Amino acid sequence: MNLRKVSLLCWLTFAFVPASQAQIKHIEMRVEGMT
Amino acid sequence: MKQNLGRQSGVQNVEVRLIDGKVQVTPKDDGQIDPVQLMKATYDSGVTVAEMDVVAQGKITKDSSGNFSLQVEPNRSFVFDPNELSKGLESLAGSPTAVTVHGQLYKKPPGKKKADLSAPLKLLLLDVQKKE
Repeated sequence: MNLRKVSLLCWLTFAFVPASQAQIKHIEMRVEGMT
Repeated sequence: MKQNLGRQSGVQNVEVRLIDGKVQVTPKDDGQIDPVQLMKATYDSGVTVAEMDVVAQGKITKDSSGNFSLQVEPNRSFVFDPNELSKGLESLAGSPTAVTVHGQLYKKPPGKKKADLSAPLKLLLLDVQKKE
């Protein structure tokens, strides 16, 4: 039973950690014509 | 413009500095932010985007045409505008190494008033901040 839980945990780690490591963290624009 | 940008999906916060025309956009963690949509929303507000810089984390990928890119979300990646920094990351293509980079996604060509948003944005790396 514990082995199944550990396996599930490993699978979830591989499934979700890479996605959380990828993202746009910040965007900066310089704009013209703003009043 | 601040309100218009703040309504875009994936945007958590927008700060506008009138003195130098800088607009700082903080994304939400939901990965829904789309730089092209932000540029469109900015134009819709009646101002012109002169430059757009991003800080992004992702993995290096190589497509079938041999172009290297930074995959920032499962369905979104930015092809590199090749330079020395991007060449230094090519060996990481396909590896699980995540990199954090600062780069320029858009710079208005001299004399042009409006960007051609139909063309895909290319990421010109300015700094590689972290590899992990």
